[in-house]
Amino acid sequence: MAAIADLSDAPNQWEFSCDLEVDFESEENASIVYAALGVDKELQPDKVKRQMSISDGKLSVHFEAVEARFLRASFSAFVDVLTLASKTIEELGPGMVL
Amino acid sequence: MKKKMIAIGFEGSANKIGIGVVTLDGTILSNPRHTYITPPGQGFLPRETAQHHLQHVLPLVKSALKTAEITPDEIDCICYTKGPGMGAPLQVSAIVVRVLSLLWKKPIVAVNHCVAHIEMGRIVTGADDPVVLYVSGGNTQVIAYSEGRYRIFGETIDIAVGNCLDRFARVLTLSNDPSPGYNIEQLAKKGEKFIDLPYVVKGMDVSFSGILSYIEATAEEKLKNNECTPADLCYSLQETLFAMLVEITERAMAHCDSKDVLIVGGVGCNERLQEMMRIMCSERGGRLFATDDRYCIDNGAMIAYTGLLAFAHGYSTPLEESTFTQRFRTDEVHAIWREKQESGDLSGLPDGGI
Repeated sequence: MAAIADLSDAPNQWEFSCDLEVDFESEENASIVYAALGVDKELQPDKVKRQMSISDGKLSVHFEAVEARFLRASFSAFVDVLTLASKTIEELGPGMVL
Repeated sequence: MKKKMIAIGFEGSANKIGIGVVTLDGTILSNPRHTYITPPGQGFLPRETAQHHLQHVLPLVKSALKTAEITPDEIDCICYTKGPGMGAPLQVSAIVVRVLSLLWKKPIVAVNHCVAHIEMGRIVTGADDPVVLYVSGGNTQVIAYSEGRYRIFGETIDIAVGNCLDRFARVLTLSNDPSPGYNIEQLAKKGEKFIDLPYVVKGMDVSFSGILSYIEATAEEKLKNNECTPADLCYSLQETLFAMLVEITERAMAHCDSKDVLIVGGVGCNERLQEMMRIMCSERGGRLFATDDRYCIDNGAMIAYTGLLAFAHGYSTPLEESTFTQRFRTDEVHAIWREKQESGDLSGLPDGGI
């Protein structure tokens, strides 16, 4: 699993943005994480936006916010649940050892 | 015919994370939990509590499966607490449950935390249709079942009774291990002098925040002047709060023409509260049903059992709707499993599963 986070200056609707890409090297695992994390919407849609997509076993997430602190909070919370979802697959998925 | 239906349940709405495995007849196959205990004088905050749950949830799932001696294949549904509770801690269970539902290809059942306390209390004690006093760190409600829903007859208009006790424990810097309420209860046993405190019952409702402010403001002064001991304050606070709860419970009993009372929720394991309620019940010719800390305090089995009741009656939650919510009132839930029982479609719950 590899993650890349960068503050790109591509044209955005809101000033602050950031992208995250995680390579699960598995179509199935990427789609499980995508489906599980897609259920929870951003709590302040007027301040932070999150867009997710999957392709080729990779999960890509694009964040945009009106202020840096909202971007940080949203990104940080997302990484926590992303890690939880990934660990759940690793520990309780096929081949689980009790 | 399939053997007994089995559910796994996830509870993480407050400072406990618990996973339980149960069957439809209420047999608990496993019910491990872990509590986030803060230093004396401090309460638990959403972010830190969620971090605690993140660390413990997966080992608890493994431990629950191992103790129950089951594999994921044998599970019929995966249940979780949808609310009410703190947002960030609730999310931990919700995320794991969604992933497991996809991994193990099992349906999800969202459960109301308050209803789960009631159903757990009913199955453990055998109380059929009692007036329920639900008292915990986050909730204080007097509830009775009527026409498909658990109706709230009375409740706190500000903070929960457990929150009042917990916050007073912080004033005295009592330990939060195993819980602040337990340590107040032990100290209260040594109290000798009753200190007058405000008594705030408003119709069917109660209010605790003013009592807390009053005792917080006067405690320091009284202790400094040796007017009373910390034990006296704990004793007086318990007597006052519990008398209020007994009063509104008795009024609900008169409304519903019911003689039995069931106490559930974390504060429900307080033996002094149980004793006071038992006296009131016996004066009315009724019975008190209560449980100990294994079932009173938040646990995964109560979520699993309540979710399984709903699932056995055809209810499940699509993945896209498996959200969590901080506010989720007891009377929002349609208790389908109780309706069918009453209309005689099922003569009790079947032993062998449906």
